[in-house]
Amino acid sequence: MRVFWILFAAEWRHFRAAKGLVLLCGLLLATGVYGIYYGTTEIERQRQQLAALPELTHRNVEELKVKFPGPADAGDIGYYHSTFAVHHPDPWAALSLGLRDVNPSYVKLRLLGLQNQLYATDNTNPMKLLSGNFDLAFVLVYLLPLLVVALSFNLLSSEREEGILPLLLAQPIRSATVIAAKLAFRVALVLGLVWLLSGVGMAWAGVPLDGRVFSWLALSTLYCLFWFGVVLVVTALQRTSAVNAVALLGVWLALVVLVPSLLSLGVAAARPLPQGIELTIKQREEIHGGWDRPKTETMNRFFALYPQWRDTATIRERFVWRWYYAFQHLGDLAVAPQAAAYATGLQARHNLVETLNLLSPAINAQTSLNALAGSDLPTHLAFQRSATRYHDSLRAFYYPFLFRKVEFTHADYAQEPRHSFTSQPELATAQHGLLKLLLSVAAVYGLGLMLLRVRPVSPR
Amino acid sequence: MIQTIAQKEFVSTLRDRRFAVLSGLVLLLLLAATLVGRASYRTLQQERQLAQQTVNDQFRNQPARHPHRVAHYGSFAFRPKSGLSLLDSGVDSFTGSVAYLEAHQQNSINFSQAQQAGSLIRFGEMTVAFVLQLLVPLLIIFLCFGAFTEERETGTLKLLLSQGVTLRQVAWGKIVGYSRAVALVVAPALVLAAALLFTGEEFTGGPDLVARLVLFVVGYAVYFFVFVVGAVVVSAWQASSRAALITLLGFWILGCIILPKATANLGATLYPTITKAQMDAEVHEQAQHGIDGHDPHDQRAEALKAALLKKYGVDSEEKLPVSLAGVQMAAGEEYSAKVYQQHFAALNATYEQQNRLSNWAGLLNPYQAIRPLSMGLAGSDFAHYVHFQQAAEAYRYGLVQRLNGLQASMGHGDKERRLGADTWRELPVFTYQAPSLGWVLPRLLLPVAALLLWAVGLCWLGLRLISKTSVA
Amino acid sequence: MTYLLEARELRKQYADKLALRELNLQIAPGEIFCLLGQNGAGKSTTINLFLGFIAPTSGAAFVGGLEVAANPLEIKKHLAYIPENVMLYPHLSGLENLALFSSLAGFKYPESELLAYLTDAGLPTEAVRRRVGTYSKGMRQKVGIAIAVAKHAKVLLLDEPTSGLDPKASNEFSELLRRLSEQGTAVLMATHDIFRAKEVGTRVGIMREGELVDVRPTATLNAQELEQLYLTYMN
Repeated sequence: MRVFWILFAAEWRHFRAAKGLVLLCGLLLATGVYGIYYGTTEIERQRQQLAALPELTHRNVEELKVKFPGPADAGDIGYYHSTFAVHHPDPWAALSLGLRDVNPSYVKLRLLGLQNQLYATDNTNPMKLLSGNFDLAFVLVYLLPLLVVALSFNLLSSEREEGILPLLLAQPIRSATVIAAKLAFRVALVLGLVWLLSGVGMAWAGVPLDGRVFSWLALSTLYCLFWFGVVLVVTALQRTSAVNAVALLGVWLALVVLVPSLLSLGVAAARPLPQGIELTIKQREEIHGGWDRPKTETMNRFFALYPQWRDTATIRERFVWRWYYAFQHLGDLAVAPQAAAYATGLQARHNLVETLNLLSPAINAQTSLNALAGSDLPTHLAFQRSATRYHDSLRAFYYPFLFRKVEFTHADYAQEPRHSFTSQPELATAQHGLLKLLLSVAAVYGLGLMLLRVRPVSPR
Repeated sequence: MIQTIAQKEFVSTLRDRRFAVLSGLVLLLLLAATLVGRASYRTLQQERQLAQQTVNDQFRNQPARHPHRVAHYGSFAFRPKSGLSLLDSGVDSFTGSVAYLEAHQQNSINFSQAQQAGSLIRFGEMTVAFVLQLLVPLLIIFLCFGAFTEERETGTLKLLLSQGVTLRQVAWGKIVGYSRAVALVVAPALVLAAALLFTGEEFTGGPDLVARLVLFVVGYAVYFFVFVVGAVVVSAWQASSRAALITLLGFWILGCIILPKATANLGATLYPTITKAQMDAEVHEQAQHGIDGHDPHDQRAEALKAALLKKYGVDSEEKLPVSLAGVQMAAGEEYSAKVYQQHFAALNATYEQQNRLSNWAGLLNPYQAIRPLSMGLAGSDFAHYVHFQQAAEAYRYGLVQRLNGLQASMGHGDKERRLGADTWRELPVFTYQAPSLGWVLPRLLLPVAALLLWAVGLCWLGLRLISKTSVA
Repeated sequence: MTYLLEARELRKQYADKLALRELNLQIAPGEIFCLLGQNGAGKSTTINLFLGFIAPTSGAAFVGGLEVAANPLEIKKHLAYIPENVMLYPHLSGLENLALFSSLAGFKYPESELLAYLTDAGLPTEAVRRRVGTYSKGMRQKVGIAIAVAKHAKVLLLDEPTSGLDPKASNEFSELLRRLSEQGTAVLMATHDIFRAKEVGTRVGIMREGELVDVRPTATLNAQELEQLYLTYMN
């Protein structure tokens, strides 16, 4: 243990002397802080945008009050009135934005058919989406391994190449102790950076101090340890610094770039998705067919589902709103299987990635962090389900007006249901991720130690 | 002299087992990416063509309907993939593929592939462009980092120079030799891609595609050349092979990973945009109350009615030979479309501001020069996307106005009547003509200039540096 | 009596080359054994086998009565090593390098003592606090000597230790070796320098193609005879 600490302290002096490495650590710290800044401002921007939506609804209501000064037909209101289903971010999302930029954070809803409203997208700059988010998770998952590589590619090989190793190993110390001390110093340094950045990020984003603090730290720590495990394996192979650098970068490239992109192709092939396009087209046909079908046919289909309105007056007029909204809803129901298939298809793809992410700890770490922050696909699907329920509640609110021919007064606007949905973390996913990461870590260290045992360190 | 050295580098590179393995891997990835790109192109294109055909048929086969109902029935515009997008899918995966076109409103373009791929898409897509832009430079770095340092470390550089060769000649020889080796790796994949492009019946060839492909190849040749020269220069400048490798890898990480993301994010932070909800509300408001608040919708409608009555010399709406509702609808559509266009232009101007930072960064970073050039030539960049959006909106506007015209011509009391089914067969369907190369090129001047500047600048400055490098 | 260094039927076979053929050797306390031979004759292999840096194919090496292969750590407490080309951490000073290596060997010296070791080894006082990166090969060699001396080992393994030293420093080093051997240290030194071997060694061994072909006490022959003997074996 004494020797370990001597070597550990020596590593600190070597590190301080290597200006390039100090600079690199500083650079990582700077990019990390930028990542936190970007993530928090992005989430703050989304929050402000969401906060501005009630004002839009309010202006819409004011306009309708002018347009319909007296009691109005609720059908007119439902047609012209729009409101929003909003998806509020969890504070953690600032650290791992996930898909919050690809998927819209609100849906504008009218009383019309849901299915051609639910998939509307927000204004986005595709170039920005292509470049991706520079959040803390990106810094940790993508850039941190590169720092580990830069710090450790010559872990033992530099001593060998500089000819110091023979003199070092002529001392009564184990080569394993030398490697352990060097590795431990770098682990301490990098973990220090990770914890510092995570702490700053958590404070900046104002996250609630719940169990997720521990999960986040555990995930990022294990992910770091994994990369040091890779370093151990490469060090144990005892090649030159240049070969080590190439090998480590190759592993990085494979795990962080190649495996994910190939997996993406594989998943798309293995889980073909029923296209949303088909669903939209079919829904339009259904809804517009409603105009041409006999009204009694439409209404009977509707009453079969909503018997409580069966006793309402038979429609004789050329146009009446309750008939209009009935076939709007029937249009939704006609494509319900497609809508469900689309959602389950997306979920199935996500689940397959979850199962296969053992192939790359980078994917595992990213999806786990996203799960922790509630910024991944399942959360968006949950939001869409929530928006669907909101649409149901809007219909439930307007149907009595429509079917009982109750007039819609200005006071009724305030009674209309409002929607709010806040991301929920997928703790189970994060926990699975943690376990799988632990498995990866055990595997690389096992391999590294085995290699070291098989091939004792040669001084030259 | 240069040829001799080039030949030596070329031969020794081919004999290097590490290079053989790495380049084999890159070539394999390139070929795989080409085939995957073709397959995905085919699937998407067929899907969209079929869907477009379906909605076109549906539109033409409508029963007798009132024109305004047809305007609400609307149509869809599917974005066709460009031929070269199988090589570089650019922003295609992040843009929607279909817009619903209807009266009164401009809908978003929905269903992007990114929404369907989950968070995996964040790690990048395996396309030919991805391999060419990121992995081939890495291969070049591994190939060239020891160009000078190794010769210095083994002492062969002194031997070479003692034979009367100049450092500059050595450098050029190496550059030529390494370039040949890189060409050997990349060429087969590009030949395969060209063969697929020009033999597959799903691609509409023609001179435009040939010219794009040629420029595409030339662009990447310059890009790789920049990396070869850069790597050789760094190798001459650094003291040891290790230092040269680390420096080059550092540049690669900075240029290919950090800068593109950082500039895109910074651009988005500096030039914020409004949400579609906000924009739609503003469009609606200005359409209602007039662009500057002086010309509200109701007044416009009243004035239009008065003008019509005066024009036809009648005193009531019933006596008009045209449908007032139809004329007013047309006027309203015209006005709101004008308002929308203003907002849409402002939004896109903001996006272009956001992207400008990244485009100018091309002067600092060759990766950010080749990327816009490549996707511009492939027809998968932001400008092409906007072009499609505008084409879809132009079609929507034209269609809706034509339907409004039909409604107007029905005369008063049109609401009670319908137009025959054959009316819809005479209306044009949506066909998208992607812009030609002549439209694209002026937009790509900056990346072209940046890339050329890099090539010329590196050759000039770098080789000056090399002739001053130490021999021992 | 116990030997401080002993080789019993020590053999090292590489896939394509026999590096050392059944070596039998005993070196007692106070002895300075010089190994002569051309490059590749097996001198460094012998030293590396005693250091435990390479594993013998057969036979065994002993340091202070302990078998090297079985006690890789323990034996290093008993020996000090100076390679042909002493390399140190370039961004630490000579003093810091000595402090580091001594502490790894288990010695914690006050700075005055460290300075004394360095100056005794011949390092100029002005250089002790400079970064080793600025040292000449000879200066590094002197730090290497200081590290070895400061370890107070019973056994010294030297692989061309005086390469890079000027004649004066070489002489001082020879003097140092004599002093240490009088205190009972056993020295095994590989060298090309026949005259130095004759002058400082108590015995010389001549190696050729992995084999120890001859061993003579230096007292029995003069320098010319030794050179003659050496050249005879080399031809």
